[in-house]
Amino acid sequence: MSDVSDEDVERWSGAAGWSSAPELTAMQTLLWRAERHPVQSSTSTVVIDLDRAPDWDRLVAATEWGTRLVRRLRQRVVDPVVPTAAPTWADDPTFDLAYHLRREQVASREEMLVHAAQIALRPFDRTRPLWEGVLFEGLGGGEGAGGAAYVLKIHHALADPLGTVQLLSMLQSGQRAHTPRKPLGDEVVAPVEPDPVDLAVTGFRTGVASLPGTVRATVRRVGLAATRPQLVVGSTLRYGASVRRLLTQAAPPSPELSPRTGRMWSFLTLDAPLEPLRSVARLGGGTLDDAAVALVLGGLRRYHARRDSTVAELPVGVRVSLDRADDLGNRFAGALISGPLSIEDPVDRVAAVRGEVLSLHTERALEVLDVAAPLLNRMPSFVGASALRTAEAPDAFVLTLPGPPHRRYMAGAEVQGMYVLGPLPGAALTVCLVTCGDTACIGVNVDASAVADLAGLAECLAEEVAAFAG
Amino acid sequence: MSGLSTAVTDAIAAIEAGPQGPSVGAFFDLDGTLVAGYTAATFYGDRLKGRDVSPAEFLRTVVTAVDGELGGDPTRIAHVAFSAMRGESEEAFADLGERLFRSKIAGTIRRESRALVLAHQRAGHTVAVASAATKYQIAPVARDLGVEHLVCTRLVVEDGQFTGATDGPMLWGRHKASGVRAFAREHAVDLAQSYGYGNGYEDVAFLSSVGHPTALNPHRDLRAAAARLGWPALDLSDPVGGSLLAVGRTAAALAGMNAGVGLGLAYGLARGDLHEGRNAAIRLATHLPMAIAGVSMNVLHQERLWTHRPAIFVANHQSSLDIPVLGRLLERDFTIVAKKEARWDPRAVVGSVVIDPAWIDRSDSESARATLDGVVERIRSGTSLMIFPEGTRSATPVLGPFRKGAFHLAAQAGVPVVPVVLRNTGELMRRSSLVLNPGVVDVCVLEPETDWSVDDMSERIAALRTKFEETLARWPA
Repeated sequence: MSDVSDEDVERWSGAAGWSSAPELTAMQTLLWRAERHPVQSSTSTVVIDLDRAPDWDRLVAATEWGTRLVRRLRQRVVDPVVPTAAPTWADDPTFDLAYHLRREQVASREEMLVHAAQIALRPFDRTRPLWEGVLFEGLGGGEGAGGAAYVLKIHHALADPLGTVQLLSMLQSGQRAHTPRKPLGDEVVAPVEPDPVDLAVTGFRTGVASLPGTVRATVRRVGLAATRPQLVVGSTLRYGASVRRLLTQAAPPSPELSPRTGRMWSFLTLDAPLEPLRSVARLGGGTLDDAAVALVLGGLRRYHARRDSTVAELPVGVRVSLDRADDLGNRFAGALISGPLSIEDPVDRVAAVRGEVLSLHTERALEVLDVAAPLLNRMPSFVGASALRTAEAPDAFVLTLPGPPHRRYMAGAEVQGMYVLGPLPGAALTVCLVTCGDTACIGVNVDASAVADLAGLAECLAEEVAAFAG
Repeated sequence: MSGLSTAVTDAIAAIEAGPQGPSVGAFFDLDGTLVAGYTAATFYGDRLKGRDVSPAEFLRTVVTAVDGELGGDPTRIAHVAFSAMRGESEEAFADLGERLFRSKIAGTIRRESRALVLAHQRAGHTVAVASAATKYQIAPVARDLGVEHLVCTRLVVEDGQFTGATDGPMLWGRHKASGVRAFAREHAVDLAQSYGYGNGYEDVAFLSSVGHPTALNPHRDLRAAAARLGWPALDLSDPVGGSLLAVGRTAAALAGMNAGVGLGLAYGLARGDLHEGRNAAIRLATHLPMAIAGVSMNVLHQERLWTHRPAIFVANHQSSLDIPVLGRLLERDFTIVAKKEARWDPRAVVGSVVIDPAWIDRSDSESARATLDGVVERIRSGTSLMIFPEGTRSATPVLGPFRKGAFHLAAQAGVPVVPVVLRNTGELMRRSSLVLNPGVVDVCVLEPETDWSVDDMSERIAALRTKFEETLARWPA
């Protein structure tokens, strides 16, 4: 009974190898340096509903194990004094689990969500590992055993929402019972505590060493421009046109979803049966991502109708794979589409969303931020921060994430739902749909200053879930 | 030789192997897909030429067009054009559409798009043109292709005049996609089984609405997207345009024709035999110019041209090139019937010396009958006759109705009719063009038909016309 299941071992050894690059990627660096929490935040929060309060000591021990398995959870980001190099991960010699994991008592799930939003709004201590876990007990309102919830706040540099869900799915157990002698990864030699000045100097040296190559590449590019001006001018103009379309051609933001301050987060969660969502997606020729966007648009359509607004379309932020369209490739770009509010039929709405999303693939500048990130990272951080702000913020971000396909347990408590609440970088709402078994767990972070009738919005979204379910 | 690329043949085979019937839709974009180039540019060019476009309107158009290219709103250019049409008569504009179709646009229809449309029609699919263009641009093309349905931008008309506004959105990008989906709902078309063909980056939304999207001669951005999305891209050959080289060759060819005529006649005069002189002139006057212009022929069943002489040769007519082509095929001992008015047409003078046509006066039926009696006599004495039963050149490869004259003559003279199907002369030399492009003319001689009589003439003519149509639709291997 207490035997380690093969599946668990496989997952856990996967977790040990999870994210072990020594430096932040260019994109992570950009987000790290450009962060202005909470208005321009890279913090995601995961709310995990549990059927009972797990044994506290067991949860602490499991977390201790998890942080040893996944070293990143014990590491912090060290930034060079001047941005000549990417920030580096280094073991935190002062790591203290008690700083990162605590528990609180609440009277209801609603209260827990309010607390979770406040936790999310507080900035991280950027000199420590970038995560924080809180176990909330007493959700049943005092009746009987009652439920519990585990809230994990995590920084984008450590894990993006996809990585967070992956990580959690990997760390959770496939059985309720305790697994003794859980495997640990190979003892990694902790990197030498890097010095910010050294980092900057090394980065500068590398920069100087690669200078001849950079110069050669530049000369070659200038030479090409001189010998074949039409080609260079033409492709530059086309690229510029594509950037302009991406930045300006989505619908204007809805007046019903303003003014946004980005400083008042309010968390909502919804459950939707997955099968009907998938079948609507199929009928509309789209994917689950398209259906998720269509679902959110349907909710917003109801909300706008309720408030007698005649907005026909609004900008929605979606994630597009830069590899093949329907693959879960590694390279993604965020982009805006015009989401239709005028389509009543969910199937037709999915088809319309599908068309908008696929149309993005004609834009050569889709990966512009990926391309620009290394350059922006050499500049003072406010440059990157303003580059991120150049893009018109959408009314809603929508993201779909694959969660665990089977039942999972945390320290003996069954996971009943896993909701990701993303940040609000300029949007009125951020919606993440996580597939958990046969349920879609939908987490909605709402800018409470932009939505006049929060309860109304929650009702509208729930009505739309019902409409999708048939 | 089918004249279609392997990729197109494969696509057609896939259509034939797939589900049949009207619940399957086939949606074709117009500009750049069915036709090469932009019909709107043709319309605007005509507007610039014929009517006054104020410098301000012209500047606004150019600026809007450039802005649309540089990432601005690409549909604004159309709205600028629509508002400039305010107050114009719809009827006049529709007439303009017909005129431009005949003179310009008909020649830009891609042969392989036509084959794709036809393949869908044979499969019984619901075929529609889905385009941001207006019906004045699309309708003549659709009619020519036998396509009944249009999903297109509609202009508001009040009291027979345009108001400058559109009825509903311009069907561009997402609006074309939703137009197609609405059409599918109305006509019970199953989109998952349907086909879509488009060429522009704005067609992605439209193409993603169907189960079988094809990027047809795609723009570079659509080509990149299609590769990423796993959609097939199909590259069709464009109708050949008049290159400078072709213009030069045409001039040389005309000179060659005249030289051929002169030489042949000189030869005949020297031999004292005008009949042989004429035949020599025909040979030289057809071989020389076609060789110079780089036109060769690929003839199926050439032997049928010789087994039944004298005969009446009937052919479909798309181009001025048809006459030299037929002249080269028939080689000797033939003539044509021409209307009297054409006698002094400078282009006909040279030819008329060579082939000595039977001039017919259509205004005087008495004399016409007398001429035809004379023709019957000439046929009986061994001179074959070449007639285009459509009476006039058609703008596209679509057959016009057949007139009965040729078949009456066959009955009276008691000679067979030899049908000659010409496929792509219209592509090498467009209907109204004076420029001949190099290429290979596909010719198929059908089974000669004998024993014509007045009794069953109408049915036999109809049957023969169907044979022409079938041969054009499925070129024999």
